[in-house]
Amino acid sequence: MTEFSNALSIAASGMRVQSSRLRHVSENIANADTPGYRRKLTGFQPDRSRDGADGVVTTGPIRLDQRALPRIHDPSHPLADAQGYYLGSNVDLVVEIADAREAQRSYEANLRVFDQIRQMSSSLNDLLRR
Amino acid sequence: MDIRSTQAAQAYGQATRSALSPPTREAPQDQAQGAFADAVRSFTETVQRGESTAHAALSTGADPHALVTALAQTELAVETAVTVRNKVVEAYQEILRMPV
Repeated sequence: MTEFSNALSIAASGMRVQSSRLRHVSENIANADTPGYRRKLTGFQPDRSRDGADGVVTTGPIRLDQRALPRIHDPSHPLADAQGYYLGSNVDLVVEIADAREAQRSYEANLRVFDQIRQMSSSLNDLLRR
Repeated sequence: MDIRSTQAAQAYGQATRSALSPPTREAPQDQAQGAFADAVRSFTETVQRGESTAHAALSTGADPHALVTALAQTELAVETAVTVRNKVVEAYQEILRMPV
């Protein structure tokens, strides 16, 4: 029973981590046009803080993408320098969409595992009921 | 026939002695009671955790994943407890129906 319980918490931690990743992806997409914005990268790491289930995943510290910000030519922009350039954000929408889709797929995988664990344990209970 | 009835009487006498005399070794019984108490305690803890998580999720908007996990674990625990209880009641009734 406790193995099922641990597996349930691990699957739930996977879902939690993926939803947190989706949250940062949505933040990146929302700030795609913000001047000087660097896209945020979500890191994953094993959770060593709790003493219960081993193998629980958690989000690590947020890293900023250190790629060079693109210089955009727009002399009418308030942030434009003497040459008429300002620094945009280094968010690539295609990458963000792919990231969001990957988060969705991982979430679905964890959801399926969760459902599978529940089915397995209720099958075990059915065996006991007979 | 006579031999069988004598054996039965002897077996009955032994069973009466062992049933009436106090148990000499109490360790297995204590272990069984401890295991059962542990099971009941963990069941109660699981149900209480589920209740408090559901309360927190509905009132303060806590993590929905924690709510789902706690509810699934509570459901499993209650299901197991009900199944075991049904088995125990069934066995008790079976003993009651036994012709003496």
